[in-house]
Amino acid sequence: MHILLVEDDAALAEAIAAALRARGWRVELSARGEPVAASLRQESYDALVLDIGLPGIDGLEVLRRLREQGSFLPVLMLTARDGVEDRVDGLEAGADDYLLKPFAIDELIARLRALVRRHEFRRNETLSLAVLRFDAGARRAFIGEQAVHLTARECVVLQYLLLKAGQVVTREQLTALIPGWAAASSENALELLVSRLRAKIEPGGVNLRTVRGLGYRLEPAEAP
Amino acid sequence: MSARPGPRQASLRRTLLLWLLLPLAGLIPLAALLIYGLALSPALDALDRALTDTGVALAEMLDTDAQGRVQLPLSEQTARALRADAVDESQFAVADPQGRLLAGQAGLLALVSDRPAPGERRFFSATLAGQALRLAAQGQACGPGAAQTCLIVVAETLGKRALAQRAALLGAGLAALALALPLLGLSLLAVRRALRPLQVAAAQVAALTPQRLEPVPAQALPGEVAGLVQALNELLARLREAAAAQRAFVADAAHQLRTPLAVMRLEAAEVLAAPHPEALHPALQRLHAAAERGSRLAQQLLVLARAESQALQAETARPQQTLDLSTLAAAAADRWLAPALAAGQDLGFALAPAPLRGDALLLEELLGNLLHNAIEHAGPGVRITVRCGRDAQGRSWLSVEDEGRGVPPEELALLWQRFQRGRAAQGGGSGLGLAIVADIARLHGAVAEAQAGPGGRGLCVTVRFPA
Repeated sequence: MHILLVEDDAALAEAIAAALRARGWRVELSARGEPVAASLRQESYDALVLDIGLPGIDGLEVLRRLREQGSFLPVLMLTARDGVEDRVDGLEAGADDYLLKPFAIDELIARLRALVRRHEFRRNETLSLAVLRFDAGARRAFIGEQAVHLTARECVVLQYLLLKAGQVVTREQLTALIPGWAAASSENALELLVSRLRAKIEPGGVNLRTVRGLGYRLEPAEAP
Repeated sequence: MSARPGPRQASLRRTLLLWLLLPLAGLIPLAALLIYGLALSPALDALDRALTDTGVALAEMLDTDAQGRVQLPLSEQTARALRADAVDESQFAVADPQGRLLAGQAGLLALVSDRPAPGERRFFSATLAGQALRLAAQGQACGPGAAQTCLIVVAETLGKRALAQRAALLGAGLAALALALPLLGLSLLAVRRALRPLQVAAAQVAALTPQRLEPVPAQALPGEVAGLVQALNELLARLREAAAAQRAFVADAAHQLRTPLAVMRLEAAEVLAAPHPEALHPALQRLHAAAERGSRLAQQLLVLARAESQALQAETARPQQTLDLSTLAAAAADRWLAPALAAGQDLGFALAPAPLRGDALLLEELLGNLLHNAIEHAGPGVRITVRCGRDAQGRSWLSVEDEGRGVPPEELALLWQRFQRGRAAQGGGSGLGLAIVADIARLHGAVAEAQAGPGGRGLCVTVRFPA
């Protein structure tokens, strides 16, 4: 992973960068918004982490200019927790996601991974988590080189779970994916589908966790 | 503000009423007396004049005989006719110049002390045989050449006069009443109208709270009250400024503290995750926990400042969105699942639609505080459940319950106080969490309450919102 982090507080930027680098990511730092466009032309990044409150042109303006130039680079905005309006502005300006400060480093990593995963998926229609890989174009899943047989419904659910890996997906979101399934009446059917899917994909180093009363979360098996 | 004036306290109303009604109480009887006199005296004069009519008739009947003696040829019939009266008993007496009775009742003559001159009329009252009488005595020229003076006395009882008196008294009384009642009513009305702006202003001042020090509108008030209200508003403005400055300071301090604390937290977490000497581990853990707690505290102070500054705004000026607590709770799962799993807890949900109008950020913080509290204090291996829904009256509610060690009943009330942490409390709580929950609940017109969880175990905090 190659990240450009734009954050004006040097200590915070260094701390975040150190944490990401400790996970083997490459991180470049910028304290201001102006040089971002040039940096993006010179280097190829997987994602941009952008603080809203910057000296000079602010994060929202940086993002606006970026989108005007036609860049689809995944952007995660960092906003202060007391500014609810900032989130709305950020999403309107073309941010892919936002994170409220202060945040836990694991949350930042999970959000960035999800962003990059979605971006990758748009490019080559392939999603992967641990050694589980899903080819959306061919509607086929693999554990390593071993093909996993999935029904059509299981494919739809797995694709959605992989896109949202690390995030909680509600039962309503999943039943809405399947035509003809009314949310209320299909709870048992969904449970059955998920338990079958779980048995098929968990050998791939992933964990399909049940969130009691709400839904599911697909995560790497070693994650807490 | 709400203290009622004591019995000895000066009252504007009482003073005004006293100075309006006391003169009225004196002046109205005086006016009544005047009316009585003005009505009665012409009536009595007319009755006196009527009394002389009989005298005039008798005078016409006086005659002089051939010997020059005065005579009164009066038949019994005429005498009866002269005495006739619908109300009173009427009598008369006529005396010749020598004082001899010519006709009528002799007793009447004795009541006249000195004889009136010819053409003179005298009215007076007297009593004859226990009867009060009104008398008219007149001197009448008689005899040869009309050189002598006869005396004619006419008397009647006081029946008509009593009637006239009663009529005048009634008229005066009615006039007094007709004056007194409207004046009394108008006085009361005037005092009430004059004092109403004061009462309105007092009610507005009484409605002020430390969180809500809006100026009291002074435009519609009379000048005398407006001055007082204006002075009060200036004081309120200074109080608001002071409160705003204090909040701004807290927000500013928290804002400035937040970034260094976030750095400390990140770095401590990284050092903990990296290989490090075993002996340093407890100290690093404490460092990380302290940074976490400080970081959370700074964030909560900011939220509190935001909530308080919102509470100062008018209801309509507050940023409010239409929300559903179930959506809010589902969104919280992402943030709180990892800490719950790390604490070895089972975080679950039981969500039903619970729509309301409110501030999304503050409500998210409210739920976050409840969850953080449960995760920090409930202990490992415990189920934590977020519930929400709507009751039969259409009021939405939200609760977070755990089956952990709970809170002793005597400490339940203390939970809501700032910086109050239970004696058995552990972990990274700031001591502000539930105080913030209470503040945010209050801002939404909601009520937060804590009780033992299901089956008397653990803790369940419920927030009930208005319909």
